[in-house]
Amino acid sequence: MVIVSMKQQEIDLGLCLCRVCRQLNTSDRTHCQRCESALQVRDYASLQKSWALLITAAILLIPANLYPITMLTNQGQVRHDTIFSGIVHLVHSDMLPIAIIVFIASILVPWVKIIGLATYLCAISFNLPISKKKLMVGFHVIEWIGRWSMLDLFVISLTVALVNMGQLLDAKPAPAATAFALVILLTQLAAKVLDTRLLWDRLEPQDDTN
Amino acid sequence: MTQIESPKVVKKKLFSPIWLLPIVALALGAWLGIKSIKESGIEIQIHFPSATGIDVGKTLVKYQGLTVGKVKDIGIDEDLKGVNVKVMMDYRAKPFLNKETLFWLVTPKASITGVEGLDALFSGNYIAIQPGKGNTTAFFEAERQPPPMQVGSEGVMIELTSDKLGSLDVGSPIFFRQIPVGSVVSYRLDGNQRVIISAFIQEQYARLVKKNSHFWNVSGVKIDASLTGVKVSSESLASILAGGVSFSSDDNADIAKNGDVFSLYDSETTALGGIEINLTMADANGVDKGTRIVYRGINIGSILSKQLTANGVMAVAKFEPQYASLLTNDGVFWLEGADISLSGIKNPERLLTGSVINFLPGINTKTAMPSSFALQSKAPDLLQSKKRLLTLTSAENMGISAGAEVRFKQIPIGSVLAVKLTKDLSAVEYQLELQPEFASLIRSDSYFVPESALTVNASLDGVSVKARDFTTLTQGAVSLVQGHSDTPLAANNALTLFSSVEAATAFYASQQQVHLTLISQDGADVSQGSPIYYKKMQIGTVDSVNWQSKTEDFAIKLAIDKQFQPLLKKPHVFWRNSAVDISASLAGIDVAVAPLQGALKGSISLGLLDSKDKVSNAAHLKLYESKQLALTQAQAIRLTLPVSSKLTAKAAIRYQGHQVGEVSQVKLNDDLNTLTATAYLYGEYAEHFSRSDCEYHLVDAQISLAGIKAPETLLTGPYIGVLPGTSSQKTTHFVVSLAASSYANVAEDALKFTLEDTNLGSMKVGTPIFFRGIKVGQIDGYRLSTQGNSVLMQAHIEPQYSHLVNQSSQFWDASGIKVDVGLFSGAQIEAGSLETLLAGGINVATKDTTQEGNRLATGTVFRLQHKAENEWQEWAPAQ
Repeated sequence: MVIVSMKQQEIDLGLCLCRVCRQLNTSDRTHCQRCESALQVRDYASLQKSWALLITAAILLIPANLYPITMLTNQGQVRHDTIFSGIVHLVHSDMLPIAIIVFIASILVPWVKIIGLATYLCAISFNLPISKKKLMVGFHVIEWIGRWSMLDLFVISLTVALVNMGQLLDAKPAPAATAFALVILLTQLAAKVLDTRLLWDRLEPQDDTN
Repeated sequence: MTQIESPKVVKKKLFSPIWLLPIVALALGAWLGIKSIKESGIEIQIHFPSATGIDVGKTLVKYQGLTVGKVKDIGIDEDLKGVNVKVMMDYRAKPFLNKETLFWLVTPKASITGVEGLDALFSGNYIAIQPGKGNTTAFFEAERQPPPMQVGSEGVMIELTSDKLGSLDVGSPIFFRQIPVGSVVSYRLDGNQRVIISAFIQEQYARLVKKNSHFWNVSGVKIDASLTGVKVSSESLASILAGGVSFSSDDNADIAKNGDVFSLYDSETTALGGIEINLTMADANGVDKGTRIVYRGINIGSILSKQLTANGVMAVAKFEPQYASLLTNDGVFWLEGADISLSGIKNPERLLTGSVINFLPGINTKTAMPSSFALQSKAPDLLQSKKRLLTLTSAENMGISAGAEVRFKQIPIGSVLAVKLTKDLSAVEYQLELQPEFASLIRSDSYFVPESALTVNASLDGVSVKARDFTTLTQGAVSLVQGHSDTPLAANNALTLFSSVEAATAFYASQQQVHLTLISQDGADVSQGSPIYYKKMQIGTVDSVNWQSKTEDFAIKLAIDKQFQPLLKKPHVFWRNSAVDISASLAGIDVAVAPLQGALKGSISLGLLDSKDKVSNAAHLKLYESKQLALTQAQAIRLTLPVSSKLTAKAAIRYQGHQVGEVSQVKLNDDLNTLTATAYLYGEYAEHFSRSDCEYHLVDAQISLAGIKAPETLLTGPYIGVLPGTSSQKTTHFVVSLAASSYANVAEDALKFTLEDTNLGSMKVGTPIFFRGIKVGQIDGYRLSTQGNSVLMQAHIEPQYSHLVNQSSQFWDASGIKVDVGLFSGAQIEAGSLETLLAGGINVATKDTTQEGNRLATGTVFRLQHKAENEWQEWAPAQ
């Protein structure tokens, strides 16, 4: 039995999927009939872009965690807090639920995202024998949850905006906040830019277990 | 036919430009990493005695407010004596971490000298660093105290010497015109006497300190309390708490240098110069340090100090510089406090602020200044003109003391200087001084009387109260009463101080009085001061009443005002007034009251006699008992009466009803048988009734059936009747008979005859003689005949009926009722009038007409018949 790749099947059928609006177009069209975005059968450059972005995010994750993310002035005392020390402070301040939320949003999610995306890209780039279905599910999870990492940044910006009492009580964002924001942005972009059809293209019939 | 475009072949890029991003990120990260490694801090270790106030990870190291480090770790040192504090210093602080770098913990500190480290309250304690020199080291020992203020190369350090620290402290500010320009850095004791204070002046003000600047202490608050208000002044709040030093700056002098020594004065005034002078005084009451010296009310100086000297007190006074030129050689100083007198209070504020030394500059500027001035006790006498000195003498001190005012018409004209006893201790002498313009008031007969604050005059005219001002009460005052003479007082004569104006006028009046003496048998109820009246006006007084033992009578000395002397030239008499003169007679009661003063004190009256009367010896006049006696110049006679007569004093002596004299006194004689009465005969009658053959008899009321004779004597008492005599001898002693002799009251030309009878029967004196029932005469008296065999009755016939009786008349007794009862003649009752029934009576009938031939001679005796013949009643001759 000849197993034809997905790409081939698409070409044979003469269909092309618009990546933007998911409109099925005929392959002879250059632009989508609904959203007028350019049609491409496959975007091979997206892999590189995605890798690049992911690596940048990974690099930027280091200063995001090492540098303080908030600078709190409490009665004259200036206190720099990294993400982790902030969580620890919250825990010590008896605000466990908030600490858990911040932990999930600021540490867990970015790490999981980066690792997950790395795995996905590796699976595409290096043909790793991982269940595509699982990968796809993971990818969708990553993509959906990624936006929620911005929670921490929103907290910081609200804190900075509201806590504004001069020397008595003051909050200011510190360098890590930029890095962290970039991390989240870049991971989002990485997930966005990637053409997930490439995953399915790497499928070889002999490896297809599902 | 559509043109077929040749497809554009895009070569697939191997590396998309997206890989730029990771490279940038990488580069960034690398750069950050290198930077952080490069700028990592230096770790040093500071040893603190205690970790109080130091927090790990929080306590910062600051230099001049700049954070240069942070405490990383605290650990106890090995000896357990302190703590090792690991500090991560900023990498830029590396050059400062030398051996001489000082670290100390800054904690908030509040003290009197100031509040430090307030920033540490908010930010927490911090460690301060003072960089120093030396080798780089990493181990330091913390200072316990902040090091003293570093003196840079700017600013000036000077030293102030003082004998007391004067509430200064490290950090006390130094002011120039109340701007803080520096502060006290430290102080130390120099030997035992002085305190040396180091002060630092900031750089920008360092040029103000000159070589001749004066420094003075302005610590605390200066309170100037006077009655004009309270003034509180201080340099600044800091100087109140921390003390302060202020200084002056002279524009022209050189700037002081580091280390210059100045003297610290206690106050601005002592610092800023002026002239010092010495004042000597006997005692320093009222003079204190700070007592002001005042000229025209402006403070020109004050007393700095006072000290005891060998013979008094010497005070050092300082004149302010701008008034130093007022001081001259003959300036006068005197002490003045509040002047409280009852005429007002001057300068009452000095009661609170203390006495003030007044100063009057003199005019002598040429002579050198004396070293010391004497402090007078009272103001100098500005009017150099001479005052009139006067001496007064007085018998005793009237309550006047030195300082009393001398007044004329209640205006002060001088004052009493001194009061003392005369040299012979017999009188009191007053020294007075009068203002020169009033010296002309003194006359040779001026005198002074003391003023009493309250004079109450109660007299019979009323009560008057006179009050003078209070100065009189406290100090006394002496009033001048000018005399009337025009001659001014001779220089050395003394005038007299009398106790009152009345005493003075009495004194002078007494010098102008006529004196005479009266002789009186008794004290006459007068005493010294009894008035002497002339026509009820007072003309003089009795000076004295004295008993003269030699003559056993009283000498009454009178003083009569000179203006009445003409009265004494005329014939006059004195008599004493009785207070009340009541003369009661059947005609009415007469009450005469003497003037009241005379009534109370007794008085003597003067009366003038008719000019033809003789005046007895003027020097020793007699004092008569009463006006009548005086005016009539009565003469005294003595009467002897039988003891049974009831004569009393004041009985009258009457002749035919007129009063010719008065009995003044009746006295029982020793033999108890007779009374002696002294009586006065009025002057004009004295001659007639003092003849030796005058007859005095007692007239008493006789009430009988025949009638009442002299009934008024029932009320007034018996009186003495007198019959004048004819002899030329005068005597003053008479015997009074109880009854009048015959013919006592008989008219001169009445017909007198005698009736004879064997028996008196019911005849008595006064028995009427009737002629045809009309009374024509009466019996005057009766007596026994010399042989004793008949009764002779003197009778008289009134003159107008005297022609009715002649030698042919017959008299018969008509008394009673004649009842003739015969057996056969029947009863014959014969009665005369009722009067004859009661009182008896004699009838007379005349036979013949009276002619020359049968006229009765005086003394003819008729026989009184008992029964009338019938024919006698029918005689009716025409008369």
